Amino acid sequence: MELVEKNTGDVTILVLNGRLDSNTSKILEDKVMDILRQGCKKVLMDFQDVDYINSTGLRVLLLALQQLKKNQGRLFLCCIKDYMKEVFEISGYTEIFPIFISQDDAVKGFA
Amino acid sequence: MDEVVVLRLSNQLPELDRLAEAVEAFGERHGFPRKTVYQLRLVLDELLTNVISYGFSDNKDHEIEVEIRLAGSQLQFRIEDDAAPFDPLRVDSPDLTTTVEDRAIGGLGIHLVRKLMDSVRYERRDDKNRLFLEKTIS
Repeated sequence: MELVEKNTGDVTILVLNGRLDSNTSKILEDKVMDILRQGCKKVLMDFQDVDYINSTGLRVLLLALQQLKKNQGRLFLCCIKDYMKEVFEISGYTEIFPIFISQDDAVKGFA
Repeated sequence: MDEVVVLRLSNQLPELDRLAEAVEAFGERHGFPRKTVYQLRLVLDELLTNVISYGFSDNKDHEIEVEIRLAGSQLQFRIEDDAAPFDPLRVDSPDLTTTVEDRAIGGLGIHLVRKLMDSVRYERRDDKNRLFLEKTIS
């Protein structure tokens, strides 16, 4: 998995690429811990180029959300591929994560 | 077109790549929808990750057999291993109604398996775990 960090205003955007599984999720977890230390409170994860996620990847998302909430932060997700949406639903994640169809919409959602 | 594929994997996590490739290729040969291929791959990933990561304590090589069978619109998996006895059906489903703060971090993998397949059956026989899963492909 590859991961690019960029900033739009006070929103930190993590653009993810590839697979989020047992081999790669640690990369995202470390990055999340890193940006939490920097005090980021508005975080967006862009799933446009994520083609696979398993429960290890999903766990990292929940962990990130829990850590951000502790610091009054927020975590949004965007651009999840259609074929992966049902897994997010079954995991109960559509209830706890604001999920947007585009990066622009998500950034506006923080306002 | 019916087909049976049998894979013999060793108890090493990188073997999951080989399994993923086999599932993708199987789905492609039979024209399964993208979502179905992803979900089938996910189910096998969750189950095999559990077996490989937690099933063995002797540091020895073990073989895990995975059979993928399509009969009409019925897709069947059989997973057989000589790991410690483990019935995934006895794992409690996570409570997905709690607040984010209280949401448990674990248990999601088996929950996904049960939700994504139509049926899951476990048996322990001849010192082996055998798991049979079915899903109708639409």
